[in-house]
Amino acid sequence: MSTISIENLRKTYGRYTAIDGLSVAIPEGCVFGLLGPNGAGKTTTFKCMLGLARADSGTVLYDGKPLEPSTFERIAYVPERSVLYDWMTVAEHVEMQRRAYTKFSVQRANELLAQFSIDPHKKARALSKGMRTATMVALAIAREADMLILDEPTSGLDPINQRHVLNLMINESARGATIIFSSHQIGQVERAAERIAVIDKGHLALEGAVDDLKADRKIVEGIFPDESYALNGVANDPRIARADRSGRIVRLLTTDGAPEFVNKLEAMGASGVRIVDLNLEDIFLYAVSPSDATADVVEGAGS
Amino acid sequence: MPVVLTVDPRSGVPIYLQVIEQVKRSVAIGVLAAGEQLPTVKQLALDLTINPNTVAKAYRELERDGVIETSPGRGSFVKSNGVKDTTKAAAMDVARDAIDGVVREAKSIGLGAEDIRSLANAAIDRWFREAE
Amino acid sequence: MNYVEWLRVRNTLRVLAIVLGAFILIVLVLRISFNQYITEDNAFIKHIKLEPGATVSQSVLPDGTKRTTIKSPSDNTTVVIDNHGINGRHIVITEPLSKAHEHEHRAVIGSVVYNERNVGKMAVTTIDTNGSVPFLYYMAIADLAAFFIATVLAAPFARESDGHLEYALTKPVSRETFAVSVIGADLAGIIAASLMTIVALLLCQAMFEVPSFDFGGVNTSAILMGIAAPFAWYGLLAASTASLKRGYGAILGFAWPVAILVVVFAEIPWGDSLVGQLVHNVFWTISRIDPLSYISFTVDENSAGQLTGPPNFAPRLAIEFALFLIYSTLAVVQWRRVEA
Repeated sequence: MSTISIENLRKTYGRYTAIDGLSVAIPEGCVFGLLGPNGAGKTTTFKCMLGLARADSGTVLYDGKPLEPSTFERIAYVPERSVLYDWMTVAEHVEMQRRAYTKFSVQRANELLAQFSIDPHKKARALSKGMRTATMVALAIAREADMLILDEPTSGLDPINQRHVLNLMINESARGATIIFSSHQIGQVERAAERIAVIDKGHLALEGAVDDLKADRKIVEGIFPDESYALNGVANDPRIARADRSGRIVRLLTTDGAPEFVNKLEAMGASGVRIVDLNLEDIFLYAVSPSDATADVVEGAGS
Repeated sequence: MPVVLTVDPRSGVPIYLQVIEQVKRSVAIGVLAAGEQLPTVKQLALDLTINPNTVAKAYRELERDGVIETSPGRGSFVKSNGVKDTTKAAAMDVARDAIDGVVREAKSIGLGAEDIRSLANAAIDRWFREAE
Repeated sequence: MNYVEWLRVRNTLRVLAIVLGAFILIVLVLRISFNQYITEDNAFIKHIKLEPGATVSQSVLPDGTKRTTIKSPSDNTTVVIDNHGINGRHIVITEPLSKAHEHEHRAVIGSVVYNERNVGKMAVTTIDTNGSVPFLYYMAIADLAAFFIATVLAAPFARESDGHLEYALTKPVSRETFAVSVIGADLAGIIAASLMTIVALLLCQAMFEVPSFDFGGVNTSAILMGIAAPFAWYGLLAASTASLKRGYGAILGFAWPVAILVVVFAEIPWGDSLVGQLVHNVFWTISRIDPLSYISFTVDENSAGQLTGPPNFAPRLAIEFALFLIYSTLAVVQWRRVEA
């Protein structure tokens, strides 16, 4: 139904650069997870995508067209913090959505609220943090939108409702909606997302399909007889995202061709060479943590 | 019989590979009989709380491997013609992956090809003798 | 698209309705406790000290009017009180001309019309308790409510910026359309407040007599002024708060004393010294953008007995509308630039 493409997005607040040339393409029907440490620029990215914040430069295109008022008929957004009106009841929020969006389904909204055990007659101020999140999720899902932009859609929810929100996203995805969401719970991203991007300090640190990243990114670990070994250029190989050596042990983070590096290390005299699978959390942490040393240092004396 | 699949999204093994492996194993041990219908992509995605496109990818691979067949509008079924072949192929796939991992591990801790082969023969002798 | 603003208007009007309701209730209690004085002329006459020899006769006219006639031969005075019930009383007092009645005289106090004429050697005074009320009196009181509502509603954009932009700005309408519709909702609320107050006043009045109005003279224009002034006031506050995310409550609260002080300081004499003139000029200049400085309470009566406003009433009215348009535009321009 819809594609979203972000190109060269840049946003500064005074001298602070929140987003620095971010480019991401989200294919049609994809569930796209946005990961990053606190303050990495996830929320700012969403705000720039929606015109809530004005980007300094760059473009955001929906189906190849820039954002215009009518695009909001097709985008449902769940912000990171509660933006419900404290003095309004949940039912009044439902009515607000019904009047604003032609495709909004009151029946679906009430179903969803019931699933979260939210009393529509309660005022928003009487809801707990998690229930506010759930209310905003319900208001967004009932939009039956082509695109969903969800900023931490499970924050404050108990594990049961977290799982419920994930299933709602999966259901929306199965319906054909394109979804971009952020979460600090990597386990959720691992389940629901087909593709991910990791942003760090406003930069894109990593992007790809979750299954591809898992299939390609491996740690190849080997032990050398003594500490004075050289890696013969392996650490400078473009497929090595990072190499760490501590004493006799070398650990290579490969982005492709792990078995080949097993053979290389063995040929150089390493023993106990093994391939370690990485889950998304490992992959994320490697993407955002600085490596201790440059490739040249890692290469060792002989290189 | 309902298919009981479980995946561990936190493992380093891609989820679609886990789905493929489990379907093949179910076919190999007969939990999934020939002609039996698999859950729809959406249903399996919701049951396991995993991405629907990931399930779809696993089903496509299973179809390419000849384990299932999909007819538009009706769903995916375990392939009915040549059940024996399908079952055997599925079993071979599962076993191949397992053996591959073991051999790699054995090699990494310094065993040579001959050592591993003799270990494999010993294991075969033991398991098949007990079976008789 | 502006449902939230409608709810704000509704809630504010609900408060006004409670206040007006309480007011009506108080008037109702008064009406009941004064009942006998209003419907019974006997109770009324009992309190009049009659001259010796005076006679009181009562009759009922064919149209149902209760007529009480008091004749006092000693001072040659006749008082005829026609009680038309809910249509009020018509009182005619005929007495000999004296020094006190040298000039013919007319006065209107609310619905009471007082008229003195000389007929031959007699002075005839008629008092109608149910005359037409100049509508501007209603409008002036209604404007108290209108200004109150205008002040309460006047920070619609700041209220959205205070944590709700993610909803306000992701609706399928342009920011300008949204802003205009929000302002429209608030203006409707201000007019509704005026109407509600006028209706409440009429209800209170109707407990005593059948209301009738005078729309002549300045009264029609006064209605326009009664709309334009609170609109301009609303615009001023909306424009002052449109870029704020918090602290707008303080602006709404301090706007009143500040705006009134500006008008007062612009009017009072500061002396002829250089400093005095400077202070006057500064406040006079500031007061030009203050909607309150164009409101005038000066009314006069023309030869036809109709009320007239100050001579520059029309320009004042035009300026109020212009201020409203300028301030609203400034508010919308700021809203276009707001970021979440």
